[in-house]
Amino acid sequence: MSCAYDLKVPISLQNALDLLSDAQSMPLAGGTNLLVEIRSGKERPQRLVALDRIEGLAGIDINSETITIGARATVGDLLRSTELAKAAPSLVKAAGVFAGQMVRNAGTIGGNIACASPAADLVPPLMSLDAQVTLQSSSGSRVVALDEYYQGYKQDVRRPDELVTQISMPRLPDQTHNRFYKLARRRGDAITVVGLAVTLTVSDGVCRKARIAMGAVAPCVIRARNAEALLEGNVFDAAMIETAAAQAAAECAPIDDVRASAQYRRHCVRKLTRRLVAEAWNDLEAKVEADV
Amino acid sequence: MSASTPQDTATANVEFNQLGKPLTRTDAAGKVFGTTPFAGDYAMPQMLHLQVVRSTVASAKLLKLNTEKARALDGVVEILTADDLPNPSATPHFHEAYGEKRPMTDPPLLVSDRIRFFGEPLAVIAAETSEIAAQACALVEAEYEPVQGVYDPQEALQPGAPIVHGEDNIMVERKIRKGDVAAGFEDADLIVENTYRTPFQEHAFLEPEVGLAWVDETGVINIRTCAQDIEHFRMIADVLDLPHNRVRIRGAFVGGGFGGKEECAREIYMALMALKTGRPVRLEYSREDSFVGHGKRHPMILRYKTGVTKDGKISALDVDILADSGAYLYLSANVLLYAAVAAPGPYKVDNLKVCARAVATNNMYTSAFRGYGAMQACAAYEQQMDEVAKAVGKDPIAFRQQNYLKTGDPIATGFVPPGAIWTDQCVDRAWAALGPRVEPVEPHIKTGRGVAAYQQSYGKVSFLGDTSEAWVGVEFDGSVVVRSGVADIGGGQVSSLAQIAAEVLGVGLDDVTIYKTDSALTPLAGRTAATRTLSMTGNATKKASEAIRSRLLGRAAIEFGVKPSEVLLSKGRVLVGNAPEKSMRLGDLARLCHIDGIQASELAMHCATHADLLDSETGQGQAHPDYTYGAHAIEVSVDTETGEVRILKSIGAHDVGQCINRAAVEDQIEGGAQNGQGYALSEEMLYNEGKLMTPSLSEYLMPTSMDMTEVESIILESRSGVGPFGAKGIGEPAISAVAPAIANAITDAIGVRIFELPLTPERIVNALMDQES
Repeated sequence: MSCAYDLKVPISLQNALDLLSDAQSMPLAGGTNLLVEIRSGKERPQRLVALDRIEGLAGIDINSETITIGARATVGDLLRSTELAKAAPSLVKAAGVFAGQMVRNAGTIGGNIACASPAADLVPPLMSLDAQVTLQSSSGSRVVALDEYYQGYKQDVRRPDELVTQISMPRLPDQTHNRFYKLARRRGDAITVVGLAVTLTVSDGVCRKARIAMGAVAPCVIRARNAEALLEGNVFDAAMIETAAAQAAAECAPIDDVRASAQYRRHCVRKLTRRLVAEAWNDLEAKVEADV
Repeated sequence: MSASTPQDTATANVEFNQLGKPLTRTDAAGKVFGTTPFAGDYAMPQMLHLQVVRSTVASAKLLKLNTEKARALDGVVEILTADDLPNPSATPHFHEAYGEKRPMTDPPLLVSDRIRFFGEPLAVIAAETSEIAAQACALVEAEYEPVQGVYDPQEALQPGAPIVHGEDNIMVERKIRKGDVAAGFEDADLIVENTYRTPFQEHAFLEPEVGLAWVDETGVINIRTCAQDIEHFRMIADVLDLPHNRVRIRGAFVGGGFGGKEECAREIYMALMALKTGRPVRLEYSREDSFVGHGKRHPMILRYKTGVTKDGKISALDVDILADSGAYLYLSANVLLYAAVAAPGPYKVDNLKVCARAVATNNMYTSAFRGYGAMQACAAYEQQMDEVAKAVGKDPIAFRQQNYLKTGDPIATGFVPPGAIWTDQCVDRAWAALGPRVEPVEPHIKTGRGVAAYQQSYGKVSFLGDTSEAWVGVEFDGSVVVRSGVADIGGGQVSSLAQIAAEVLGVGLDDVTIYKTDSALTPLAGRTAATRTLSMTGNATKKASEAIRSRLLGRAAIEFGVKPSEVLLSKGRVLVGNAPEKSMRLGDLARLCHIDGIQASELAMHCATHADLLDSETGQGQAHPDYTYGAHAIEVSVDTETGEVRILKSIGAHDVGQCINRAAVEDQIEGGAQNGQGYALSEEMLYNEGKLMTPSLSEYLMPTSMDMTEVESIILESRSGVGPFGAKGIGEPAISAVAPAIANAITDAIGVRIFELPLTPERIVNALMDQES
């Protein structure tokens, strides 16, 4: 039920990365996932490397081109950033419905990505925003696109000696709509049944770019690439949105669990994709009218 | 009942100093500031830590239990198995019903041969630390021989089904027969038949089970525990083969009970281990232990067949209730009695037939839970009332109105409750408070509203007999002491007693100190269960306070040369009208009494009216002392695409007889609304061959604050109850009608009824799809 482990509390990133180069070490950020896994015996690390004393890992920086978020920014930090709410609305929406207050206070964006849960709430918005993940180790660093980061259920490209240190994404162009919907069995402190993030960019009435990212309906968070392709380059109409929604439902690969059946999840992917795309479209149209 | 029905007297001009006002409870500050010790806060030097080893299968023969490796672990001090029990047939089951098949269905304290449910206790480990105890737990090796189990109550009734105990799986059967059901159905213009299903429910109290036991210098076993009942000391002593006066239970404020802390196996484990090791022992359940460590709410399958005339009169009702008792009987016999008595609801049904059975399966055993069978019946009868109303083309409230029991009417068992029946006012007030209907904006949202009424007993089953004691005394400074063995499980039980004493003795709530919950030092008050504590111990406290008051007034009358009836007790002073010379401090009067040998203290007992057993064939007789009546109204919005439900309005209207503390009554109504909402919508104990698949609070989904709307409490006071000052009970009644009100609101919103709780988003989507096709 519990296990003894060695706890290291480095004060520099380099020190942390050196400690993580030992295969017996695991990084500890907010601990809202890892400590639960340790308690249940699913993880038995020999050494934990706590990240909370390291300076400069938790900043949120938004310039005209890029949004950069330090991996140790907590979900609460995301919620408190008014700039982020404008620049990445789906991410802040997801942060608002993320677990409960205590978990939001401690859980971090880097941890949410690195725990590789298919139900991680920040991941669909980030994927819909074309986020990139910076992985650092004592031997160097690399940047991986978030939609290439996951390889399967709780599997990712991160090596044990690597740490997620930063998440970055391009600023959204004008005429872009970005939404997230969390479907769960209750409103507070719930594990997601379907998480859906949609980003649409439209100009001259044509969909220039579409991103649909789906959580909790496949072994890992995935994009509905075929549905996106149906939308991109086209003019929206109800039939097309319906077709794209059906396509998204066809692309997901949900399972039955105690929260919901695969069939229900697939049904909801379809309904929610249609709803979010239509809302985005209506919103953009309204914006265009307002601009005129 | 004739000339002065409770309604007639209900609006009498009664002035109370503080009764009925929303006071800050005496236990509030300590709990808010974290200074109140709970049972888990107590520790002793040299204390050992216990852990219960549980079966990992639901149905098997236990061939061998190998504890050698666990015993060899450094720091393990003792391991108890069935072989070590002083009395192998010892059981943690308390017999208090009739119609039980005993002792075959008694649960063993520790399994010796046959495992009947997943998580059944096999052994208890004592170790120097809780970590070592947990490690040792994993080292105990059990060899099982699988035995075919049965996990569905309907399957358990089929010929050839595996038998859990003895000859068949029927554990209990309760019957009610009244009038002529066949004739009643003949008179009916329409017969509506439906089957409703209700689920398991977990109490999920904030404080999982915990306690500490030690043998004191006189050889008495002391147990500090969080329990609804400190009078299990008798049973514990019987198991240990000790005189009853050698076991003492000291309670603490309890972090929630809801019926889940009425069992006493864990206290027996602690007592056995304290005796065996000679050291203090502490047993703390983790949340996971708690999920498998106490009985759940009975899931029920309730078939309702209602005969109704064209003009909306119920002419006959035939109800068949099948409950899953799980592997052992526990309190199923009484739970099924409650279900049967409640089956027609607060309606006049002259031709009634009820058959309620509890069936053994290899699921987790089921036992007491707030509402105690009556709540499951309410979930069914109030949905059925809406269905019947629809079938005869009536408005659901108008249809109910035509059939309400009225004050003075006999209920299903032929018994006439002594209190008022104010169902009509409660339903009307709750419904009216819903106000204008919320009109949905988005096309995929639909709104709906529903109401449900209920009848829920307060007070223990009458044939069991029930007494409660309290001691009250006035000090020389006018402060007041109350002593009572009452267990305060979070409902403000202790504070209410203080308030009653304060009211009668004319002092403030702050002037009263209560010493509570000690089976050796405080007068025994019985279990905090069955919504009995206010009516029982409240009456005892009132009786004791009034006896003192009477003597004090007598002495003061002599002092002031007036009649006792002219003396007032108010704000800690003794007064005669406005005469300043005829006035003294209450404490000085107590001192005068002391000098004269007049007792300024009193030990009083309240005894509930005892009744014979109900007739076993017809169920006629007095089942309970009285009943609470009320209603809950709900407005919901439903997302027809995802099936998500949002509770927009939640309003409870209850006739509580007389509020003692208005704030505490509101707490109960709000808590009942939350508890019932979880039962209706999201709480699910999913079992796979007896193994719980949702054993944590991240899977077992109780409503959070985000899921709750502000609950509105409408409190009616008929002053007609059998409790102090005409109070009725509200603890259990508060939950009764919530789930069916939600179900009726959802049905109103989506136009189709789902006959199985909880009403999950998935069930709603499936029902809507079925409706389309």
